[in-house]
Amino acid sequence: MVVAVVLAFGILALPATLSAQATATRHYDIDAVDILANRPMCQIGVSKTTIDSMQLRRSVSLSMADVLTFGSSIFVKSYGRATLSTVSFRGTSPSHTAVTWNGMKLNSPMLGMVDFSLIPAYFVDSAEILHGSSSVSHSAGALGGAILLGSAPTDVKGLELSYTQGVGSFRTFDEYLRLLWGGQRWQLSTRISVASSPNDFKYINRDKRLNIYDEDMNIVEQYYPEERNKSGSYLDINVLQEAWWHNDRGDRVSLGAWYLHSNRELALLTTDYGDDSAYDNRQREHTLRAVASWRHRGAEYLLDLSGGYTHTTQNYDYKSDPGSGIMATMTASESHINTIYGEAKVEYYVANSWQFTGSLTAHQHFVESRDRALRLQQGGTAIVGYRQARFELSAAATVRYRPQERVGLSLTLREELVGSKLSPLVPAFMADVQISKRGNVIAKASVSRNYRYPTLNDLYFMPGGNPDLRSERGWSYDIGIESGGDIVEGVRLQGSATWFDSRISDWILWLPTTKGFFSPRNVKDVHSYGVELKASAKAKLGRGWSLRLDGNYSYTPSVNVGEPISAADRSVGKQLPYVPRHSASVTGQLAWRGWAFSYMWCHYSERYTMSSNDLTLTGRLPKYYMSNIALEKSVELSWAELCFKGLVNNLFDEEYLSVLSRPMPGINFEIFVSITPKW
Amino acid sequence: MVIAMATACMKWEYGLEEEFNVAGSARGLYICNEGNFQYGNATLSYYNPDTKEVENEVFYRANAMKLGDVAQSMTIYNNRGWVVVNNSHVIFCIDLDTFREVGRITGLTSPRYIHFVSDEKAYVTQIWDNRIFIVDPKRYEVTGYIEVPNMTMEQGSTEQMVQQGKYLYVNCWSYQNRVLKIDTDTDTIVAQLEVGIQPTSLAIDCNGKLWTLTDGGVEGSPYGYEAPALYRIDTESMAVEAEYRFRKGDAPSEVKLNGRGDTLYWINDDIWAMSVDAESVPVRPFLDSRGTIYYGLTVNPISGDVYVADAVDYTQQGKIYRYNSRAELVDEFYVGIIPGSFCWRN
Repeated sequence: MVVAVVLAFGILALPATLSAQATATRHYDIDAVDILANRPMCQIGVSKTTIDSMQLRRSVSLSMADVLTFGSSIFVKSYGRATLSTVSFRGTSPSHTAVTWNGMKLNSPMLGMVDFSLIPAYFVDSAEILHGSSSVSHSAGALGGAILLGSAPTDVKGLELSYTQGVGSFRTFDEYLRLLWGGQRWQLSTRISVASSPNDFKYINRDKRLNIYDEDMNIVEQYYPEERNKSGSYLDINVLQEAWWHNDRGDRVSLGAWYLHSNRELALLTTDYGDDSAYDNRQREHTLRAVASWRHRGAEYLLDLSGGYTHTTQNYDYKSDPGSGIMATMTASESHINTIYGEAKVEYYVANSWQFTGSLTAHQHFVESRDRALRLQQGGTAIVGYRQARFELSAAATVRYRPQERVGLSLTLREELVGSKLSPLVPAFMADVQISKRGNVIAKASVSRNYRYPTLNDLYFMPGGNPDLRSERGWSYDIGIESGGDIVEGVRLQGSATWFDSRISDWILWLPTTKGFFSPRNVKDVHSYGVELKASAKAKLGRGWSLRLDGNYSYTPSVNVGEPISAADRSVGKQLPYVPRHSASVTGQLAWRGWAFSYMWCHYSERYTMSSNDLTLTGRLPKYYMSNIALEKSVELSWAELCFKGLVNNLFDEEYLSVLSRPMPGINFEIFVSITPKW
Repeated sequence: MVIAMATACMKWEYGLEEEFNVAGSARGLYICNEGNFQYGNATLSYYNPDTKEVENEVFYRANAMKLGDVAQSMTIYNNRGWVVVNNSHVIFCIDLDTFREVGRITGLTSPRYIHFVSDEKAYVTQIWDNRIFIVDPKRYEVTGYIEVPNMTMEQGSTEQMVQQGKYLYVNCWSYQNRVLKIDTDTDTIVAQLEVGIQPTSLAIDCNGKLWTLTDGGVEGSPYGYEAPALYRIDTESMAVEAEYRFRKGDAPSEVKLNGRGDTLYWINDDIWAMSVDAESVPVRPFLDSRGTIYYGLTVNPISGDVYVADAVDYTQQGKIYRYNSRAELVDEFYVGIIPGSFCWRN
């Protein structure tokens, strides 16, 4: 509440104090720079989706979960607005997606996955999605693929400040501030974002009906209630401080520290008849990520040394009011993660036809999980939990060779040490051939084997951790073709099509036990295959008009091909639950003299909620199409540049679900004002 | 076409209420399918042992709304069914013939089981709460509590209930080791008995003896980890009369009785059966495990047929196997996700 008031005051005070300046959103009239012709060695055979930097800048108010939903065809599973959002490739699980930020892994060593709803797009200057085998040279254990997020210096000289205030439906307030200073050698950047909302959007709850009784307690009427998203408030604060330094001898030093404070309620399910005022179900997180790197580029080599530290404290509190008006603790779990990270990487080029890359990455994790406090049988108290440390070392060597201009070959070998266990060799072979120079048509192929070691919770969580788990294993094959170029002056088309086939064995799933808790087991073998299509078009239409379209589509059958668990098992040969066979996204943008209109669209096909694909009433989630639009206008004044933006989410007010019993908001609105003063 | 794709609405069907009437099937079996925790996909199934017909999702189909999140148990009293939906914090009262809701109790912490003392009073056990709730089933209201001594909210767990005369017996399960004796006239705990770690279930046999089965806890748990055991308890003195130890690491559950109350059944990988007068547990199971982990068990009180629930991979429709008392398969049918508990209509 206090925050809301402060933020509200912030926007009221805007005209008086804003010497402001623009944010990301003011840049829409600058044409993005595209590089088509160059085929760098490091891209040999690589299958990737790059989120356009302009799209990232335009998405100032979004989380990376939203950006990936509309900017790619990978599957984003959202448990609600500003709630856990996970990302998975090609029918794999979220923990099969490796995520790095400026080279440092973001995946939790306890959970394995990343919550993309906690990553503001405002902090991300570059985002690359590496599909399948393409991840092996960057990260270990990414059975589905990897997402590389980064921040980068700009070309600003002197001081620049930009401030954006957003106000939206459900009393949502977003504030973004960026301070930049650029000198001859140094550049400093401070980014702050604050997002808060009671998040109490209204929806018609179709999962429950309320009763009206007569005096004798007979039901005389039932109706689907219009409810609010109960107990779904959030406050997320992010601060990112960075510094870059470079000289003329090819050295660059980067320093970055990112602090996250998140306090989110966990919204009630649609099937919950509890009184939300009698419960407090809350997740809190404090995370500090700090990374430093030094890069030296010589004539024929590149040396990159980096180190970092991550601290995370996560609390989950579940309290209820037993009637006394005082909240009593039911659960107060807490986890602490401390990770020290170091990486050395070297690239060496020989005669423009060979490239050798080697990397050595080390992580030392210290984790502590504290669940509930117990009174013991013999007296005294104790905490249920575990404390573990784990050292991980990953070494990778890549050889890339271009025997002739049109042909590229790449071989990566990776070896991992986790604790005292050495993984089998992880190889990845990739190749590409330029079939047509004129159309810039390139055929690509890759094959890789991969392993993912169980997370610390998988092994040690109390209760349920299973120290006997085996690593998950996978094979991945890709064949694809891509092309792109200017078809006429001012009109550029790009497209690619990839067929993939991957198999994962010993897939780890957490299953209930007869003792009332969950425990992980190696249960499934999965065969995923399908097609990924990408297309983009950019056109300058004359008289200041420009048009841009980006489209992605994935067809992803992901089939359980393991042995039946029991004679009753009907999941073999069936699509994995919650994995859509079809997913697609399109973004379009029409710009004219400081105006820009954007349309963002995505689609997920029907998803099964049961491994047997039974079409019962609760056995599937219907397909849905989601549309967002934005209109923005920038105004150049003598003292500042202003930008106004209006956003409509869920344009057609669709009732939809991403996960069973998790309500999603209908049509909602947000307006932004950005200001960039001219000093 | 583009516009059609952009605006096409998600297809969703609401408000379709299906008419049921199973009044003729006198010995029907209601099956609570827990569903996946936090996914709100619990369901209720109904099986007619005479016709061998099963109807799934009957609550949803009859009421055009979901049953909720984790259907823990069902109890029949005065020709009404009371379905306890744990993580939805609700107990639905349904018409046994039509499956239509006739009322509901809310205001509960995390209900597990309901037991009727009279037309005006029932007890509801809870997890995450150190109180047994007293409810008025006629008004669907919580009217009071029985606070369990030496139990915190965080470690709170009261579970199954069986009554003998005016005394009610309750096992305390999660991170607990007790059986309570409650005077239902005064709503007070009059005695407690410490047994092994985590007594899972309760039954009173034809001799008036109370049986409970512990699961032994979890390896590495500070609360302790031990060999589970089956206990026979004298209800008068609240003393253990007999104790049958299993191997450490076993996970026995679901102690049940047949209709005559002279044979015990339980799950411990396989399905086991034992006379309540036996001196030792049998060496051979009643039914071999079929390579799966059985999750639920019941015995038809009239015919003696044994029903075993296989939750398979816990994310698909579970399967019920029906055996006669000679362990011969009589029928098998699919129900909902994680069939955990049963309720007989007699």
